[in-house]
Amino acid sequence: MSKNRNWIVLCLIVLLSMIISSCAPAATPAPPTTAPKVAEPTKAPEPTKAPEPTKAPEPTKAPEPTKAPEPTKAPAPTAAPAATGGDTTVLGAKLPADAAPYNMQTWVEPCDIKGNHITFDFQVQVYQRFCGSDLFQDQLVNLDKDFNVIPNSAEKWEVSKDGLTWTFYIKKGLQWSDGTPLTAQDYEATFRYLPDPKHAWDFAWFYAGVLKNWDEIVAGEKPVTELGVKAVDDYTLQFTTKVPWPAFPAMMQFGFGLSKKQMEKYGPLYNSKVETSLSSGPFKLAKLEPGKTIELVANDKYKGFRPPKLQKVTVQYMDMTTAFAAFQNKEIDHLGYEWISPADMDIIQKDPVLKKNYFPHFGDFRTDYLVMDTFNKPFNDINVRKAFAKAVDRDAIVKNVLTPIKGMPAYAFLMPGFPASDKEGKLKDLQAYDCKAAKELLAKAGYPDGKGFPKQEMWLRNEGAAWQAVFQAVAASISSCLGVQIEVSNKDYKVYMDALNAKPTKLTFGAISYGMDYMDPSNMLGIWLSTGRHSWKNDKFDSMVKEASSMTGDLVKRNQMFMDAEKILVDDVGGIFIDHRWLGDLFQPYIMGDCFRKPDSIGIAAWHWGNDWCWGDFYVSKDVLNVKTYRNK
Amino acid sequence: MARYLIGRLLSLIFVLFVVSLITFTLMHSVPGGPFDEGKQRLPDAAKANILRKYGLDQPIHVQYAKYMWSALHLDFGIPYQVPTETVTSLIAKTWFITFQVGMMTVALAFGTGILLGAIAAYRRGSWIDTGVTFLSMLGTTLPNFVVALWLILAFAYGLKILPSGGWNEPNDWLIPGVFSKNWILPVLAYALLPMAVVARYTRASMVDALQSDYVRTARAKGLRDRSILIHHVMKNAAIPMVTALGPIVPDLITGSIFIEAVFRIPGLGKYFVTSTFNRDYPMIMALILLIALLWGVTYIITDLAYVALDPRVRLGGTMK
Amino acid sequence: MTVTSTPKMAELTEASLSKRQRTLWSDALRRFYHNRLAMFGLALVLIFVIMAVFADFLAPYRYDRADFSKVLQFPFVDAQYLLGGDEVGRDFLSRLIYGARTSLTVGLAVQLIAFGIGVPLGAFAGYRGGAVDFVVMRIVDVMTAFPGLLFAIFLITLWGGGLEKVILVLGLTSWIGALRLTRAQFLSLREKEFVGAARAIGATQRRIIFRHILPNALTPLLVAVSFGIPAAIFAEASLSFLGIGVNDPLPSWGKMVGVSGAYIRVYWHVGLFPTILIALTMLGFSFVGDGLRDALDPKLTI
Repeated sequence: MSKNRNWIVLCLIVLLSMIISSCAPAATPAPPTTAPKVAEPTKAPEPTKAPEPTKAPEPTKAPEPTKAPEPTKAPAPTAAPAATGGDTTVLGAKLPADAAPYNMQTWVEPCDIKGNHITFDFQVQVYQRFCGSDLFQDQLVNLDKDFNVIPNSAEKWEVSKDGLTWTFYIKKGLQWSDGTPLTAQDYEATFRYLPDPKHAWDFAWFYAGVLKNWDEIVAGEKPVTELGVKAVDDYTLQFTTKVPWPAFPAMMQFGFGLSKKQMEKYGPLYNSKVETSLSSGPFKLAKLEPGKTIELVANDKYKGFRPPKLQKVTVQYMDMTTAFAAFQNKEIDHLGYEWISPADMDIIQKDPVLKKNYFPHFGDFRTDYLVMDTFNKPFNDINVRKAFAKAVDRDAIVKNVLTPIKGMPAYAFLMPGFPASDKEGKLKDLQAYDCKAAKELLAKAGYPDGKGFPKQEMWLRNEGAAWQAVFQAVAASISSCLGVQIEVSNKDYKVYMDALNAKPTKLTFGAISYGMDYMDPSNMLGIWLSTGRHSWKNDKFDSMVKEASSMTGDLVKRNQMFMDAEKILVDDVGGIFIDHRWLGDLFQPYIMGDCFRKPDSIGIAAWHWGNDWCWGDFYVSKDVLNVKTYRNK
Repeated sequence: MARYLIGRLLSLIFVLFVVSLITFTLMHSVPGGPFDEGKQRLPDAAKANILRKYGLDQPIHVQYAKYMWSALHLDFGIPYQVPTETVTSLIAKTWFITFQVGMMTVALAFGTGILLGAIAAYRRGSWIDTGVTFLSMLGTTLPNFVVALWLILAFAYGLKILPSGGWNEPNDWLIPGVFSKNWILPVLAYALLPMAVVARYTRASMVDALQSDYVRTARAKGLRDRSILIHHVMKNAAIPMVTALGPIVPDLITGSIFIEAVFRIPGLGKYFVTSTFNRDYPMIMALILLIALLWGVTYIITDLAYVALDPRVRLGGTMK
Repeated sequence: MTVTSTPKMAELTEASLSKRQRTLWSDALRRFYHNRLAMFGLALVLIFVIMAVFADFLAPYRYDRADFSKVLQFPFVDAQYLLGGDEVGRDFLSRLIYGARTSLTVGLAVQLIAFGIGVPLGAFAGYRGGAVDFVVMRIVDVMTAFPGLLFAIFLITLWGGGLEKVILVLGLTSWIGALRLTRAQFLSLREKEFVGAARAIGATQRRIIFRHILPNALTPLLVAVSFGIPAAIFAEASLSFLGIGVNDPLPSWGKMVGVSGAYIRVYWHVGLFPTILIALTMLGFSFVGDGLRDALDPKLTI
């Protein structure tokens, strides 16, 4: 008898404690729902952030380096004060007045412990980069807050009359961390390494059709020396393109130059070992323990345009579920939006200090959309596609499920603010929510009230909980409006991409996103060409985009052509556009830097995409002395 | 006995062969490969280059033959995820840590579990019994990463007396070289579930054994309970326990991805998931062969244990 | 002098003949019935079974009906969404009720497959020993070589996800436990005296296995089944964590717990209710398992 009573009492106790403990703002017991998200290349290097909005002068403005880069402080290489207190960096520059002592100028960044990382360099393997990547070189150009292309290691560039030859002039005086000078030969060697079949670069599509002989070299038909890249002399680099490509300077945002010497001596992975690592960037490698920590220290030999105020950057590997708690515990200094769960975002929005230090921005103008196999039933019928597009209540979904801080409804592919985007909303009605019209269209296609419509399985590309919710909402919206059955299946990343990219495609219906690689419609709209990953073909679209991409001279006409092409895409429902994302960064309140705390020309203060010069701007303010962080535990 | 052992070992080798064949086939049937096409479509030539680099462009039986040939020379290739190491060195390095975690967990789980289970069985019906059974149910309900996170929030961020993660960190040694604060929370979180299972099975087996006639006889004879427990009951209770609990050991020493991820332990656990996700074929093969080996050895040991525990058991067949 | 010779004797014989037969099972049933805890567990199990079977009648809404204005609504604030809304704006109460259907289906189906394959094979292997045992154990060795989760990931990645595939895959990875347990029991039980006796009087092998040994081997098997069901539910949850469980919008408690991680710091209801339900289900099956074990133990006297 007493045994039974003990039982009942205990059961009640456990129930009670479960209730209490789940209420406590304690556990973030998030299982690793996000199996390693393969960061899009523009996301992985923390520095590359935020493209910019409406005001951005169209990127074909590149040839004029009108904006001078941030004042390059003349470093005094001899004066290397000990990396302890004081107000001077190892490069001899003085810290700002409100900065903490130099030994507290440290930065901790989280990294996914389940990441697949083998290199620091974009030019080696894009999808396998360590966190804290691409800080060992300065690329040829960079972007300012308004997404204008600005000089970086190239101080100016010009294009030939026929638009096929670009000449970049490398700044003199740049050097590697062993004192040897950085020359155009380094860039030449690096670019020749890219298409090398033995290298098998995972980003080999990037220069396809752009650089001369790229495709032939990748296919093994020509040697790498035939690539349209040449070091004319030590400080002059010449590129030859296959067709005129006005967006080329913007692509040089990824024009990193590895050390030719190190590549020859130690192979392209030379940066993956401390002993052989060589840096011409603001930081150099001090410690590398993959899965644990990575330590970068300021490069005292640095002569580039973003001399760091920070003394050390530490990358801390951790599980995605514990990152926000670690941030609140002041163990890390910065969180990208991908580390912030919906509940965490709620907490941030409700806390005045956190909210003030969360900086949303355009990111890489990423759009989420639904793909369909338009070559086969049932989506080969435009009425079906239109019906589906009009059955998605984007406003309600973005407002309630996604929340406005994370995105805005999308009615076209290019996010307003991107060049050639539909800023005035002229394309909105083509895919806007109209359930009545959707039902009529479906009936017209032969499926009144969804009868007879085959059950669909919407594939997701290994999305985390938050995006699963959004796409489930989309599926629910379509189902409830049209009466069709939709199951949502979260697939393994590679299985998804393999199915999508197969020709003919194996993916009938799915959800996916794309963010820009460089800021030009030739990049974003280019993915919809019939040679791309989508199973949609429109010859007029193809010809317009191809023509506009290599059109020089009349910028207005080029822009208009892109806009007209987008109209075709939206009207023919090549994809059903759901939302444009707002990315964002969360900083500790004592992390300073005009680069993100001061607004751009339309008032957005954030660490914009592509603003790698921010690494020369970040510093820790004196406020850190009043709080317990990892620095003064 | 010796013949039996040799037979078992030979069959283990055979099993490893079969396992390698099945794994290899399965692995290569799953779509995708050790490359990413997250953004735009790779030109066919580029994709071919990548496959060629990894030796994946050859027919599958050729790949398998090549792999097995090197494997027989104990060369398991180079992991795609860490091309600067070999599979053997990577596993040796990371498994060493996972093994430590696992062994400590085994010790804690079995030690405490058996003790609690025995006490509960012996004092059946009392509040101890209820408590233990109840706790074991709790242990099996709570996922270990939930427990892990609660522990971190309570002890690392709340009370701040234990570190929130890491392994053998220089600042976290309680007794340098002997005992680190880093060990406490992960082992605790990891051991809770097996401890609960061990306790429950121990209790069930011992209750069974305690009911039996020979115990009643022994008590009637006037033997003390303690000697009854030790000499009679434990041995008989051990057989079903060994069956049910034996597999826990190889399970534990191959690590938990959740525990290692949450506590930032640089062990082997994560490679199980990341290797599959990234299609790191050499790693996948090596990991599965390792597990097959561990399980095979565990079975051999448990089967030998049956013989040791129950003199009536014959491994070869029935009495006739 | 026969038994029925005296009237008193006749009366007694009459009485004993008319008394109900006491078999093992009727004894067990009676004992189970008197076990308060076991009956409580049974009640819980029955509640869930009713929830699962009659979900269409019990749930106020369909499980896929979404109202975007009620996303992540807290429980007890809205008369319509009694237990609140989930992250897509669906009624949580309805999803929990339908979730019972999914979870129980998974739990039961997986156990069915696992024990359906494992017990007969294990019994056979354990009893016969020799070559049969050897072959079966080698197959088991090969099967266990694959860590359950990894194997499940492989298979689901290969075959696709969804409820049926999940059940199939989990079943394929769980039958080994049942087999090993059964085999171990048979290994030790076949040497027992009653088996020798049965053989001596000429019982066939099949009769010995099913009529004599199996009932005695049942005890740990039952405990295993009662643990196996929530274990299967948990296994499905693990698969959901890795994103390869049942497809939405089909609700499953495991998946709900998995998804709740991203919300739980603020929206506690998303994780709490499915966790409680899983725990109660587990409790229920455990009590039932315990009760069955106590009831079937022939050495226990009431």
